[in-house]
Amino acid sequence: MVPKAMPLQIHRLQFKAMGSACEVVLASHTKKEAESLAKLAIDEVLRIERKYSRYTTDSVIAKINQQAGYAPVACDDETWALFEFASQLFDKSDGLFDITSGVLRQAWDFKKLEVPSSQKLEAFLPLIGWQKVVLQDQSIALPLPGMEVDLGGFGKEYAADRAAQVLKQNGVTSGYVNLAGDMRFLGPKPSGEHWMIGIQDPRQSDQVVATLPLSQGGLATSGDYERYFELNGQRYCHVLNPKTGLSVQHWRTVSVTSPASVVSGCTSTMTMLKEADGLAFLQATGFDFLAIDHTGTVHVRQ
Amino acid sequence: MGAALLSAAMALPIVVGTAHAESAPEKGTLSFKYLNYKESQQTSSDAIAEYGRADSKSGASAYDERILVKATSSSLVVPLNSEWSMSGTLITDSISGASPAYHTQALSYLKDFRRAVDTSLTRYLPNGTLSVGMSHSGENDYVSRATSLLATRSSENRNTTWTAGIAINRDQINPANQVVLNETKRSNEVLLGVTQVVTMNDIVLFNLGYYKGHGYFSDPYKIYDERPRERAQQKFQTRWNHYFNDLNGTSRLAYRYYTDNWGIRSHTLDAEWVQQIGNGWSAAPAVRYYSQTAAKFYVEVDPSILPFPPSPPANAKYFSEDQRMSAFGGLTLGMKLTKQLNLDTKVDVKLEQYGQKGVWILSGTGSKGLAPFYARNLQVGITRSF
Repeated sequence: MVPKAMPLQIHRLQFKAMGSACEVVLASHTKKEAESLAKLAIDEVLRIERKYSRYTTDSVIAKINQQAGYAPVACDDETWALFEFASQLFDKSDGLFDITSGVLRQAWDFKKLEVPSSQKLEAFLPLIGWQKVVLQDQSIALPLPGMEVDLGGFGKEYAADRAAQVLKQNGVTSGYVNLAGDMRFLGPKPSGEHWMIGIQDPRQSDQVVATLPLSQGGLATSGDYERYFELNGQRYCHVLNPKTGLSVQHWRTVSVTSPASVVSGCTSTMTMLKEADGLAFLQATGFDFLAIDHTGTVHVRQ
Repeated sequence: MGAALLSAAMALPIVVGTAHAESAPEKGTLSFKYLNYKESQQTSSDAIAEYGRADSKSGASAYDERILVKATSSSLVVPLNSEWSMSGTLITDSISGASPAYHTQALSYLKDFRRAVDTSLTRYLPNGTLSVGMSHSGENDYVSRATSLLATRSSENRNTTWTAGIAINRDQINPANQVVLNETKRSNEVLLGVTQVVTMNDIVLFNLGYYKGHGYFSDPYKIYDERPRERAQQKFQTRWNHYFNDLNGTSRLAYRYYTDNWGIRSHTLDAEWVQQIGNGWSAAPAVRYYSQTAAKFYVEVDPSILPFPPSPPANAKYFSEDQRMSAFGGLTLGMKLTKQLNLDTKVDVKLEQYGQKGVWILSGTGSKGLAPFYARNLQVGITRSF
């Protein structure tokens, strides 16, 4: 029985996850088919959100943080793989990409428009340091009470990759998953054309600075415009250096494309953290990128 | 630096490009294929021309009729649950035409019908798979049975997969011309392999195979064909698939080295490009080059007595005038088009053209006096998941 071949149509299915507007875009023959496929992808995103949320008390992350200073917590395979990935990012960034740096949020209150005092920051710095974390026999132990891990650094990108994988396993070869700008592509439009993805202007949110043609791999953007405040002409954004506790200054926005969203995401975040050294790092990755520094100069791969 | 980050990400349960971890299929698939294979070869007098003795053609047409195979194959894969799957394939083919009795001369006509059944049961484990297979194939004069066992094991991060397999074959041969009666051929094979995901876009494979068989290897329908009753083969195969992000295409390169105790050594080079075109279409042009040395008991064409078969050397224990035992090179050009009609249905069509000549051999001169051999292979298939 061969069903009558209907033309493939592009369907966009919007949803909310991880506190942001998200969408699944895919080509299918009927709206019903698109909806049932998108549901699989959305369920996967929501699963990851529930499992790794830092806002709930029963997530895997909450349980690990609750045991800080007390006992090791056994990890399932997926969580362990994510921590192994985090270890590699920590090593490869000379300690700049550190998933224990989230405690700094307690020092920085972006609503108060106030730069924390160095005394306040110094109180938190001893609680930061992935090298202090004990990883053994597929269990994780945070040695000091008050230490925290969170997967905010690449969780959304990982969810985009996973959701795309679910779609791919179900035969989708045209479309993408977009989790608030972190995207994973599944193949070009049914016509064979690339998807045209606009990169937001970091200073004018209704403008795009560039449009990238993409059909494969992952795109991720880090910027100083998502959560920030300005004080005395200086912008303080939510990307914080785990060694100094200070907000990074050099980059307005860094967009990276690579074979996976999660790789693009950690590349763009590392670039932000490396500040002035970020450009050489970006060039060395060999990935395509579009980065705008604090003077407004646009940099692309050479 | 980018490669280091990519390799770090390979610890994650996400898949990029061509890399895949194996899990039990979520859907069953039913596929049906029709295959039409046709050989052709120039008349023997053209082959004689190579020696400058083609004074006349003895009435045969420019191309003699050769083997035509029409086959259908139906395959079914059924996932039993998340850990087990079963598959079965039924092949029926009808063979008609003629094949030479020696070298490329003296056609003898044949007609046969074959039915083959292939079944396997696979268990998917957290870090690998285990499959048992049984197959049976029967035609008038040849019955073949095989049992196989294949195990794979993946590393924690799924980037390395080791494969080990064994197969046992038992064949029974009762040729229609009763040259021999109730002959048997028994063989055992082992296969060891490793597949490595090198980067997000590259996957490489190495395979080693060893085959040992004893029994009746001769061709009962050929004149002067007495082959050793033992055959041992070694194979080494390597493959590299690379996915190009910018082009949305995959290159597949493969090389195989083969050697056996009959003196045949062969090299096979495969190159294929799979291009995703969009709208569910993909196109895959492919080229294959094959070259082999002759078996040590192959008896070359004797130009002075053409078109008659040369007698095997005096006291020779083994001899064959089968062109498949000769030294030659072969070239295959192919194109496969696939169209995904919708999520569950895929159709494909593949056309291949093969040519074989002594002079196309990789090194040396190749066997002389054999007419060039051509084959055309057309395959049409439809696959439906449910």
